[in-house]
Amino acid sequence: MADAPRKVRWRPWLRAVHRDAGYLAVGLTFVYALSGLAVNHITDWSDGDPSFATYQTIHEVGPLRGDDQAIAEDLRHRFAIEETPREVYRAGESELEILFDKRSLHVNTATGHVVDEGQKPRFFLRVANWLHLNRGKKAWTYVADAYAAGLLLLATSGMFMIAGKRGLLGRGAVFVGLGIAVPVLYVVLAGP
Amino acid sequence: MARNPDELPYDRILTPSMSRRVFLRSASLGTVVVALGGATYVFASDEDEKKARATMRPDGRPRLPPGQRLITRLKPMGGTEGDPSPGAWRLKVHGEVEQPFELDFAQLLAMPQVEQVSDVHCVTKWTVLDAKFTGVKVADLAARAKPKPSARHVIFEANAGYTSNVPIREALAPNVLVAHKYDGSPLARAHGAPVRAVVPDLYFWKSAKWLTGIRFVAADKPGYWETRGYHNHADPWKEERYG
Repeated sequence: MADAPRKVRWRPWLRAVHRDAGYLAVGLTFVYALSGLAVNHITDWSDGDPSFATYQTIHEVGPLRGDDQAIAEDLRHRFAIEETPREVYRAGESELEILFDKRSLHVNTATGHVVDEGQKPRFFLRVANWLHLNRGKKAWTYVADAYAAGLLLLATSGMFMIAGKRGLLGRGAVFVGLGIAVPVLYVVLAGP
Repeated sequence: MARNPDELPYDRILTPSMSRRVFLRSASLGTVVVALGGATYVFASDEDEKKARATMRPDGRPRLPPGQRLITRLKPMGGTEGDPSPGAWRLKVHGEVEQPFELDFAQLLAMPQVEQVSDVHCVTKWTVLDAKFTGVKVADLAARAKPKPSARHVIFEANAGYTSNVPIREALAPNVLVAHKYDGSPLARAHGAPVRAVVPDLYFWKSAKWLTGIRFVAADKPGYWETRGYHNHADPWKEERYG
C-alpha cells in the first residue's frame, strides 16, 4: 500500500529562519535603534552633540611662572597632552587661555587654578551615529540594505509563526492592523 | 502522541517562564518602587521650587516663572559650536547706528566690567537661579555705537548664522550683557566661548552663544528659533514658548 503523502511542516522551518535572522539582527538593531534615539533627540541632549560628552575638571597646580608659552608647555606635560596648543592667549594679568582642538585650559597663573574643559567622544554613540548616518564608505550601504531586508524577513516571518486565533487569523491580525494604522493615521492627520 | 507542533496551542509551544499572575504582581511591585523613587525626587526638589515661586523679584513677578523646574547648573543645549579662540574673536556692532565699530577680546576686557547674578530660564522648562556672569553691558556697547532713532530691535548674531531678536528696550536693559565668564571662570566651549549674550528676562535661546555681532535694526526680524515655531518675544512669565 502506498504511503500517504507527508504533510510539509513549514512552520518549524519558518521559526528557525525567524530565530536565526533575529539573532543576526541583534547587533545592528542596537546600533540603529540607539543611534536613532540619539539622532531624534539631538536637540534635547544635555551636551548638545550626543556623539561627544562635555567635561570639566578642576586642578590646583600651584603658582605658574615663566612666559605664556613656557606655562602652556608645563601644563601640557603635567596633563600629558600630546597635542600642540592652537592658541595661548593672555586674557588678564593672571589669566591665561590655552586652547586645543576640543579642549581648553583656563589658567589662573597666580594661584595655579586650572579649569580643564572640553569634549570627549562617546565611543558607542559616535560610532553608531557614524554608521546610522552612513558617513562611512560606500560598502556600508550594502550592509544597511541587507539589514533592512532582514527586518522585512523578520516582520513577514513573524506574522506566520503562530497558527490559529492567536496568529494572523486572530489577535495577530489586530496587532498587525494597529501597527499599520500608526503611520497611516499619522500621515492622514498630520502628513504633507 | 505529540501532535504536529503547528497545531499545538501557542501557550504550549512557548512555555511561559512565569505565570500571568506572577508577571503582573512583579510588574506592579516594580512600578510602585519606581514611582516611590520618583516621588522622593519630586518632593525634594519641590521644596526649593516652592521657595523660588514664593520669592518675588523687584518687579513683583515670582522668581520661578510658571512651568519651570529648578536645576543647579546651566545645561549646554547644543548649537553649532563656534571658534572658542579669544585671539580670533571679533564683535561687530552695526546696523542702525551712528558709529558702527568692531572690537576684539582685549578691547572687550578693557571696557567697564559687570559681575552680575541672574536667573536663567530655558524654554525646555529648566531654570537656574543665581547664575553669575561677567561681561559688558549691551547698553554700554550701544552708547558707543549710538543707535539711530530708527533702531527698534536688536539682533544678536552668532556662529553659523544663528540669530535672535530682542526689542531694543529690553536689549538695552541694565541686566543684558555680553558675557565672557560664567561662575567666575571663562565661558566653557559648550556655553558659547569666548563670548555670549545674556538676556536673563527672556527665554535663554535669545542669549546667543558664540556671539559675533550686535545689529540694530528698524524692523523686527525673527531669528533662528523664532522662524522655527518658537515665540517671537519669549517672556518666561507669560510662557511665551511657541509662536
